[in-house]
Amino acid sequence: MLFSSITFLFYFLPILLIVYFIVPSKFKNLVLLVFSLIFYAYGEPIYVLILLLSCLVNFVAGLLIEKFPSKGKLILVLTIVYNVGQLVYFKYTDFFIANLNNIFNLSVPLLRIVMPIGISFFTFQTLSYVIDVYRKDVEASHNFLNFATYVSLFPQLVAGPIVRYKTVEEELKKREITWSGVAKGLFRFAIGLGKKVLIANLAGELVTNLTGLANGSVVASILTAVAFTLQIYFDFSGYSDMAIGLGMVFGFHFLENFNYPFTATSITDFWRRWHMSLSSFFRDYVYIPLGGSRVSWIKWLRNILIVWFLTGFWHGAAWNFIVWGLFFAVLLILEKKVYGKYLDKCGVFRYIYTIFFVVISFVIFQANSLGDAFYNLKSIFGFNGLPFINQETIYYLRSYGVLLIVAIIGSTPLLKNLVNKIKEHKGTGLKVMNIVQPALCLVLLVVVTAYLIDSSFNPFLYFRF
Amino acid sequence: MKNSKDKILTLSFIGFLCTFFVINLCVKDQDVSVSERRKLQQFPNVTLSTITDGSAKDEFEDYTVDQFAFRDFFRRIKANINYKVFGMLDNNGVFIKDDYIFKTDYPTKTKSVLDFTKKIQSYASSFSENNHVYYAIIPDKNYYLNTDLFLNLDYDYMYDTVTSSFDKAGYDYIELRDVLKLEDYYKTDTHWKQENLAGVVDRIGSVMNLGASSDYQAVEGGDFYGVYYGQAALNLKPDKITYLTNEIINDATVSYLEDTKQNQVYIPENLTSLDSYNVYLDGPSSLITITNPHNTSGKELIVYRDSFGSSLTPLLIESYSKITVLDTRYITSSIYQNYLEFTNQDVLFLYSTMTLNNSDILKN
Repeated sequence: MLFSSITFLFYFLPILLIVYFIVPSKFKNLVLLVFSLIFYAYGEPIYVLILLLSCLVNFVAGLLIEKFPSKGKLILVLTIVYNVGQLVYFKYTDFFIANLNNIFNLSVPLLRIVMPIGISFFTFQTLSYVIDVYRKDVEASHNFLNFATYVSLFPQLVAGPIVRYKTVEEELKKREITWSGVAKGLFRFAIGLGKKVLIANLAGELVTNLTGLANGSVVASILTAVAFTLQIYFDFSGYSDMAIGLGMVFGFHFLENFNYPFTATSITDFWRRWHMSLSSFFRDYVYIPLGGSRVSWIKWLRNILIVWFLTGFWHGAAWNFIVWGLFFAVLLILEKKVYGKYLDKCGVFRYIYTIFFVVISFVIFQANSLGDAFYNLKSIFGFNGLPFINQETIYYLRSYGVLLIVAIIGSTPLLKNLVNKIKEHKGTGLKVMNIVQPALCLVLLVVVTAYLIDSSFNPFLYFRF
Repeated sequence: MKNSKDKILTLSFIGFLCTFFVINLCVKDQDVSVSERRKLQQFPNVTLSTITDGSAKDEFEDYTVDQFAFRDFFRRIKANINYKVFGMLDNNGVFIKDDYIFKTDYPTKTKSVLDFTKKIQSYASSFSENNHVYYAIIPDKNYYLNTDLFLNLDYDYMYDTVTSSFDKAGYDYIELRDVLKLEDYYKTDTHWKQENLAGVVDRIGSVMNLGASSDYQAVEGGDFYGVYYGQAALNLKPDKITYLTNEIINDATVSYLEDTKQNQVYIPENLTSLDSYNVYLDGPSSLITITNPHNTSGKELIVYRDSFGSSLTPLLIESYSKITVLDTRYITSSIYQNYLEFTNQDVLFLYSTMTLNNSDILKN
């Protein structure tokens, strides 16, 4: 089920909200678990069993690690093998078969395994849990209902953010639900919904139109790259906003996942702002255990390459995702060892440098294959013999120009700063916001509903994650 | 104050969702969307197999969207925001220029145009040596868009491809582009207006050596909400539909292959149907025979046509004793040949550029 669907907004959510707010506190986790399983089973009727099995295995593993500390390492390794094995089987088997076929000229048939949606997210959550229990960063959960609620909690189940157990450990046991928290959560949800439906989906429509052009052009290629970059940002950060907002409604406080990444002043800075729950996962569970930067130069290089290989590979079982990750590895190495110190003195150029390479990276990310990525990059730089611009490009530029401007402004903290400025005027400013916020929320709901009813374009980008 | 803001926001948000949840449950499901002229998804058949194969879920998603209360109102909101807030040039491929609604048909499908010429020549392969073959290409109304702002077909390519192919086959060409203008088309529909076809009829008559046509009496059929009206989802004025008649048309007898159809040239009851344009020859019909008792010359015409032909063909009746109207979107040549013998009839291929660009709709 998608958050940005009529089914979710006008059937699932109202029923859940009413039931959730009516039942006593001690049943709230049960309600969330049942509805989360319904949410998952709606799209994946069979795979809900995989989700439940994952909950059970990791719950038992946590208890065993706590009960038998001397065997903790063995239990941890076995649990990691289970979790990673499950992920590899569903997500990467066909990738490995296809590559073995290519390398050794074999013809092993592909298994065509359908990947359970969100498996990369909930597997990383359970991994973080057992590792944290082993490290004694958190106590093992003794309540299966609470643990299963944590793993399968529908707001972050299919598109993140990757929520660590310790972030919600206390709130799983006891949480306060206030008017203020619910209102804040609903407003955040509405903003995320607007980002997804009104900007990401329209930017995606532009990408689809441009990639289907009968006659391409250099400007169309650039526009495609920019539009896709905006699409994926507004889609992904919109989903994170919706997840964080729904979390607040139910009394949870998830950590932020995006922080205006397109205003980053370097690639290093970009990854502190983009999909923060994933980068911090790899930092805490891969990079630092490998020694981080406190090792020899060669080992540090190895660590960086491993982390970014894995980051790329996590996003999809295809070579272009691996190259995408390694592309960032190269830029991060260069920033750290070659020109990073000069970037700080480059003023506005820092922003241009960062956004340029981010857009280029998403050309690699978006492509169906490395060959496609190379072709698209050549088109952007005018090496495919395409005209600079043509009538079709002008048409789409004119038609989507306002949207692109709105999206670019929306990807900066300009609006947030403006709102904060207004709020600083304690008297009038707050009064204005008190009226504007509920009105904006309702208007967004109406407009989003209108777009969901009349649009056929509402993709779910995370089916490969 | 802050607390009351939070309460207002929370209650209005949840209230909005719950209100539509209840309304959607209570309002009776509709079978068709009049404005969109299509069937609406009904509640899916829920069985174990439709659940496991995902079809129940997919159909339920479509159902919730199709049956959403005040659907047209929401579609209007979306269209207005697309046009007026985002400044988009089209909404779902539909755009408005000078109060006319157009639909983008782009790009030019060269394969489709070539396939069109092959299909026509394949139909003609069963003609006798004494059949005299004519053809005309009807420009769709986008041809008369007086701007480069929108994406448009490469009409020169389409006309050149068809004429060079058919000239070689020896068919006589009837040029229509210079006898039509934008005002000859409905504002809310794809079709041309029958009452504006005098120039077209004269041009066809002059190439096919038909006599001068007599006068017609115009019958007003009321408001016409064309096919683009609902797609545009805006508050626009409907067109007026008119049909031309006279004693010859009134006395003509019509038989439709589909035996349930009526035996008149015009079907006024259709003026209140989903598509008022079906007043002409009862809309989509695979094979129609029109017999004119006032013309005893024995001269016959066979018209291969798409929907544009419905309104034009009645204006050609007086020059023939019999006209056979074929719509090969609905009938194959192997079937219509059971009802038709090619001897010495005139044959007119009359297709719009829309059909040229989407020729896969024509059967072999």
